[in-house]
Amino acid sequence: MRAPAFNWVMWLVGLAVLLVLPWLVTSEYYVNIASQIVIAAILALSLNLLIGFGGMISLGHAAYLGVAAYLTIYLTAHAGFGQLSGAFIAISSTTVLAMLFGYLSLRASGLGFLMITLALGQILWGVAYRWASLTGGDNGLGGMERPHPFGLDLNQPTIFYYFVLFFLGVALLCIARFIQSALGQSLQGTRDQPRRMRTLGYNVWLIQWLSFVFAGFWGAVAGLLYAYYHQFVSPQALHLTTSAEALLMVIAGGTGTLFGPVVGAALVVILKNVISAYITRWLILLGAIFVAIVLFMPEGLLPGLAAWMRLLRERFHGGKKPTSVSAVTKDRVL
Amino acid sequence: MTTPVLEVIGLSRFFGGLPAVRDISICVAAGERRLLLGPNGAGKTTFFNLIAGDFPPSQGEIRIFGQNVTGKSADQRTQLGMARTYQIITLFPKNTLLHNVVVSLVGLRRLRFDPWSDLRRQTVLWDEARATLALVGLDHLAERTVMETSYGERRRLEIAMALAQKPKLLLLDEPLAGLSADERQDVQRLLQSIPRDVTIVMIEHDMDVALAFADVITVMQHGQVVVEGSRADVVADPKTREVYLGH
Repeated sequence: MRAPAFNWVMWLVGLAVLLVLPWLVTSEYYVNIASQIVIAAILALSLNLLIGFGGMISLGHAAYLGVAAYLTIYLTAHAGFGQLSGAFIAISSTTVLAMLFGYLSLRASGLGFLMITLALGQILWGVAYRWASLTGGDNGLGGMERPHPFGLDLNQPTIFYYFVLFFLGVALLCIARFIQSALGQSLQGTRDQPRRMRTLGYNVWLIQWLSFVFAGFWGAVAGLLYAYYHQFVSPQALHLTTSAEALLMVIAGGTGTLFGPVVGAALVVILKNVISAYITRWLILLGAIFVAIVLFMPEGLLPGLAAWMRLLRERFHGGKKPTSVSAVTKDRVL
Repeated sequence: MTTPVLEVIGLSRFFGGLPAVRDISICVAAGERRLLLGPNGAGKTTFFNLIAGDFPPSQGEIRIFGQNVTGKSADQRTQLGMARTYQIITLFPKNTLLHNVVVSLVGLRRLRFDPWSDLRRQTVLWDEARATLALVGLDHLAERTVMETSYGERRRLEIAMALAQKPKLLLLDEPLAGLSADERQDVQRLLQSIPRDVTIVMIEHDMDVALAFADVITVMQHGQVVVEGSRADVVADPKTREVYLGH
């Protein structure tokens, strides 16, 4: 709010980097990493709806990624469905699952909510792991072809990258609209003052449930793209570590900011894929970086960097008294 | 006789085995100014919370505008035309005063389920919010965040948020608590300017203000009604003195 010009610059720079990325990186390998980042970003964005804007910390968000991925591959590669109908059924069924899970989880709040989402996620993981006749068990489910929407050859890494980037763009647009809408603002109200919101006539439960389903929908979209990317899915996609990784992306990037989860997704995916090639104990590095972020930028990378830049600018322009980093609330960033 | 705006019949609420509110029955007529008096711990705020629907009563019935709302949630009661302020202020501290009032306005509109239109562009709402702030004399601070305002200003914002919803029944929980003498007068004037088609039930400790304002006074102690009646009756009643001064 304080610096709209700054926000626009960040928007445009971010967009430009994402668009020309395939030309910046030299090998297909890195283009594929970029696609992974984009898919992870969609998952993190959807989780951020719950965590950042709803104050509902979920440890079961892999459910929507995994179920949508399993359904996509099962339907198209093993049940004879077409690509379009398979994708449609996968996403709509996963969204219906989110309606059910939301109904169950939102019976509690805070820690109880977290535990229920965790338990539901683990049930799905158990099913995927044990129901081998349907899911292939530990071997996972594969044999899927990438679709050819509008004659696009998604087997080309660059084309696939733009394909997933398109979905990220739509997700960002919808979520950006949502958080500035009456419903999105109500959700943020229920995060800060649930009791007051009730008194003002808001059905807090319904607002949280609708947001939960909305987040589940975007988690399902990430799952669909995950299935397209890997053409394979195993119980790992439903595992607690996948949920925890998504949570890490959101917290590292900046909860309650629009672009924070994208930055967080980039950080985690790059560490996981690129750094792990050089350092065997990359998890230690991830842990150290996470601790550093929490210590020095408790609000996350994006708000932290923005606050530091604001401080620098104020120093350069002089005269004005520099505000402290902590005084810059996340609401003013993006 | 017309239907009372608020009718409470045999209302009780126990916390564990402890009765916070015991078998209270009151009846508030349209346009009435009702004052709830009583020492700390008399159960006034619990009684308020029961009327507002923060939690269900253990026994008894609550009727608003003739409708039984005992089983209804707080937000459903608000949709019927009830509004309340809090004793302990619960506002959105990082948002502007204007935003706080807009949130209050949106609460009663279908718009609250709109996931797409930009709330900042709903100029009609923002104009209405500004007008409401002008009503309580805060329009010059509209763009400030709540954190940047004084305690007295927050109290007035509390009232503005309730008034913005144009309630027919307004519950005020100690609207004057913690205010300076000047601020008291401001809020007092504000309360007196509320039109008579709004029914007000108020908890207040400031006897001068409260007595000047109230039509009917209900004195509570230990979760029960001790005395009820007009200003003169209650002040003259020896039980009132007993509640406040002891034996």
